[in-house]
Amino acid sequence: MTPHPHISEQFDHELDQARNRLMEMGGKVEQQLKNACKALTNHDLELAETIKTGDRSINQLEVDLDELCVQIIARRQPAASDLRTLVSVMKASTDLERIGDEAKRIAKMAIAISRLTYPRDQYTDIRKLVALVMAQVSATLDAFARLDVDKAIGLIRYDAEIDDAYDAIVRDRAVQMKEMANNPEGIEQTLHVLWAARALERIGDHAKNISEVVVFLVRGEDIRDRALAAKLTGG
Amino acid sequence: MTDTKQNASGSNGTSLLVDRLSLFYSGQKALHEISLEIPRKQATAFIGPSGCGKSTLLRCFNRMNDLIDGVETTGRILLDGTDINSKEVDVAQLRRLVGMVFQRPNPFPKTIYENVAYGLRLQDTLPKTEMDERVEWALRSAALWDEAKDRLKESALSLSGGQQQRLVIARAIAIKPSVLLLDEPASALDPISTLKIEELIHQLKTEYTIVIVTHNMQQAARVSDYTAFLYLGELIEFGKTDTLFTNPKERQTEDYITGRYG
Repeated sequence: MTPHPHISEQFDHELDQARNRLMEMGGKVEQQLKNACKALTNHDLELAETIKTGDRSINQLEVDLDELCVQIIARRQPAASDLRTLVSVMKASTDLERIGDEAKRIAKMAIAISRLTYPRDQYTDIRKLVALVMAQVSATLDAFARLDVDKAIGLIRYDAEIDDAYDAIVRDRAVQMKEMANNPEGIEQTLHVLWAARALERIGDHAKNISEVVVFLVRGEDIRDRALAAKLTGG
Repeated sequence: MTDTKQNASGSNGTSLLVDRLSLFYSGQKALHEISLEIPRKQATAFIGPSGCGKSTLLRCFNRMNDLIDGVETTGRILLDGTDINSKEVDVAQLRRLVGMVFQRPNPFPKTIYENVAYGLRLQDTLPKTEMDERVEWALRSAALWDEAKDRLKESALSLSGGQQQRLVIARAIAIKPSVLLLDEPASALDPISTLKIEELIHQLKTEYTIVIVTHNMQQAARVSDYTAFLYLGELIEFGKTDTLFTNPKERQTEDYITGRYG
């Protein structure tokens, strides 16, 4: 259901601007995440170093977007779906900024690993987690752009897969570390890898938050408690 | 479409029950089969574009439409269970129970004191001290006492527009009605006076059932507990203000409150 245009065209323009800037921010965050993961698995120090600058511009986008939304709220006193749109853009931008922070953390681990003397790791398990998380982030942004509630609800459930993959990594790597008694550098590297895995798992949580925001935006329902309850009861 | 259950569950019960009310101006249908329950001691707002019937509906509650030639109604309005259009009901008595305040303040060209005492004198002969007490009580209730206490013998017309509107509200509540109808009570006032009236509504609804017609949607959102959206004489949506302004059920309500072309 596409909404009718506002009597004030300028208002439509302002809301479009808020949505477009969020999508722009989403695109940049996606790129940061992609680069951070690539830097990690390829031991690419140079690429990892670019993440910091990229993160600063994402933080600035969040500040600008907040200001834009506050301005629109103050001037237009929006109601109903307009109000929900602005609240949702603000909430989603907070989660996107945090995804950016986690990407920065992954880059930090990439830098630490690339400084080791003999980094040896196949990253098979990490690559799998990266693929899951990247797919989730990109699908979440798509669900927001299309206001696709069904897709968003599917993505909320999908987060459990990411959690499972992360848990498996922690278990397997703990076993491996026991065999690394004579390989302190191997232990160090594994610890960095685990931190990166933890960051990826957190990104999944932020993406899930954004999917919940999409449901609120479209239906006006806050499903956070229900999502939590479903998780606790294994539903 | 109409969520009457929400209202029936109000803790104080129903003050005004509107049951399939239709109204015709010389055969022209202006209200179409409206049913809703207005909860007691709560503020209910009627919103909708000009000509949607919100003022017409409001004026049914104290039979102001009786004064217009060619008006006919079908359906029922019950005030605390009594059909207000039945033959036994005395219209003057009904209007004592259902007070009304209009867009433009309409104080009588008398003193501030006499404006408030006027309705009481028609009803009762109170001893002077009791009358003084009642006038003070009404002016305090209307948040006008502090501004008016030293000038009770001055003409009401010497008050500002916002003060006059609060004086008219004091006059209406002096006779202790059950329901207070407010027809655009703040649309002729400046923003500060408007906020004073809105604050007053918050206080008054602890004692009275308030029904307010307003063009100002933010005002409806601020002061009311329930909101009814009318369009072309039909009740499109009725529900808790909290829900109606954040997540209306009907597309037409959404378009109206967000300022869209319907």
